[in-house]
Order: sequence, then structure tokens, then C-alpha cells
Amino acid sequence: MALINIANHEIHCKIVYYGIGYCGKTTNLQYVFKSINPTARGEMLSIATETERTLFFDFLPLDLGTVHGFRTRFHLYTVPGQILYERTRMAVLNGADGIVFVADSQAEKFEENLQSISELEMNMRRLGKDMSRYPIVMQWNKRDMPSALPVGVLERYLNRRRVPSFEAVASSGKGVFATLRAISKNVMAQL
Amino acid sequence: MLGVYTEGGASMEQLTNLVISDRELGTISIVLTKLMNDTNATCTMLIDKSGQVVAIQGTGARRNATALGALLAGVFSSSREVARLLGEKDFRNIFQQGVQENIYTSMIEEQWLLVIIFDKVTHIGLVKVLSKKAADELGRILERVRNDTARTKSSVINLQFRSSVEDTIDLLFRD
Repeated sequence: MALINIANHEIHCKIVYYGIGYCGKTTNLQYVFKSINPTARGEMLSIATETERTLFFDFLPLDLGTVHGFRTRFHLYTVPGQILYERTRMAVLNGADGIVFVADSQAEKFEENLQSISELEMNMRRLGKDMSRYPIVMQWNKRDMPSALPVGVLERYLNRRRVPSFEAVASSGKGVFATLRAISKNVMAQL
Repeated sequence: MLGVYTEGGASMEQLTNLVISDRELGTISIVLTKLMNDTNATCTMLIDKSGQVVAIQGTGARRNATALGALLAGVFSSSREVARLLGEKDFRNIFQQGVQENIYTSMIEEQWLLVIIFDKVTHIGLVKVLSKKAADELGRILERVRNDTARTKSSVINLQFRSSVEDTIDLLFRD
């Protein structure tokens, strides 16, 4: 839910990175944190297990500065990818203004990706959101892996709504900002 | 724009946007300040369930307000799931007790959270009673905010704003 605070001249939007375990959601946020102008970001929070798996969420607030007198902020969240944590994913999705679905391009992860996207669709229905009009972009991550499926295959099975999609290698930063630009613009267009 | 979320018999409205006018933020701030003064708390906050801070009073937590908003909303979501496992609809209040500082959070109208941060000088009983009163008052104000949102939004989000924000995104989010 975007919050527009006229008195304080602030706009806040929430963007959630969704996808299976180890697909690179946290890596996306870490790259943004590392690469963006430090004045444009706050501290990154991670609620993780001892082995660095996301337990609840990662959180990174970004500040675009003042646009037409309004201080505009994006709050980036990730969900925990492990199958066990479905209810937690649902909790983090609550109030999201836009979603980045991060897919692991590797052939052996294909089925898990499919399950994850149908789970996302189900959760969005539960939240009363119409996916056909909702800001969402796809990221085909891990394009550098030897078993990465052709983009055409990923598009055909995982992107049936034909939303914007981006190839990425999040660990090196490739495609990270292109994805973030696309979802941010999409969210603002829907405000 | 409103949608309806129904699960386990509970229904709640999912807002797409919430637009708060000067006047309503002023009223919210008065309620929060009164609650802070009457309970001798260090800070009072109103956050929405997605973690956004709507309003904050007091100096104690102001610097960390954004992170606190996200984490407290997370605590509440998590406790709601615990409630579900116990066959409860939800826990409407959460009390976190520290050595020096305590936090009392209560839910307002299924959509917002009222947070009070106070130290050992304040008695929890007083916080409970007065926060209930403030939550009722805030519930009424937030209902008005909800109804006014569509009208107020068009005064801010116009074509010029959208085009400027796109330029800013291009400038800031680049390799």
C-alpha cells in the first residue's frame, strides 16, 4: 500500500522480491545496497538464520530525494525462499505495491520456479489483488550458469502474462538495476 | 481502490493507496502526543501493517523509525501466524519487555498498528488503558482518511510528478 503523506510531503512504496530459495533475492538487495549512492539508501536489515538463509525478510529503504516537493521512498523487501515459509511470504507480501519475481534460470530449478509462481498467484488472489493489473516484473537470474535454460523457455512457462523481464547475474550486478528501474516505474505508474 | 481479503472467516480491506492530508495528520499527531504525554512514554508511532510509518511523536526512536516500522509490522505478522496455529483469530496486542525500554503494540481496525515505547517509570496498566482509548480515536480518524484518499491523491500525483519521478529513477538506479 503506497502511503502518500501530504503533510510531510512524503511518498512511500513497497516492492517485494519473490522467488525460490537461493534464487538471488537477497543478492539483488545486497548489490543495490553496495552500488547505489550511500545518501540514497538506509541501513539494510536482514532477519536471517545462522547460515545466512533469509528467515523472515531483508529490508532496504531507498530514498529518491525530493521530486516535485515530495520526498519519494521505495522500501525493498525479500521473502524467505524456502518452501516451508509460505505463511511468512504471505505476511511480507501484505501491502506490497509491486513484485519482482526472481527466477533461477538453472534447468534443475525449473519445476520449483513453476511452483513458486503459482504460489505467488494464489497468495495475490488471497490478498484480493488482480495480477493482470498489478505491477510485476520477472528477472531471469543466474544466466551465467552452465545449465541455464534458454530465455525463450523461461518466458513461455513462467511469464504467461508477458510482463517485462530482465536477464541477470545478480552476484555481479548484471541486470539488477534494470530490474529495479522497471519495477519502480511500473509502481509509480500505478499510483 | 479497495479489494477484499478473506481468509479463515476474517475479512479485511486491502488499500491500494493511503493519502493523508495536512489536517488529518495534524489530528493524528495530537492523539499520539496526548498518549505520549499522558503515559510519560518516550515515543508513540502509528504504522500500517505493511510496515510504513504514518506518524511518529517523540524523539527516542525517530532516527530508526523506518527500520522500526518494518520490524514491528513483521513481529505483528509473525504473531498473527502464531495465533492462527493456536486457533485464535489474532493477538490484538503485543508487549515486548526490555531492561530499560518496553514496547506495547496494538492493532487498529485490522490495518494499522499503534506503537508505544516507554521506560520502567511507566506502568503497563496505564499504557494498556490509554492506548485502547487512543486506538478507538485513531480508528475513527483513519476511516475518514480512507474515504478521502481518492480525492486527495489527484492533487499530488499528476502527469508532471510522474514524469519527474521517472527521470529520478533513471538517474539514481543505474550501474
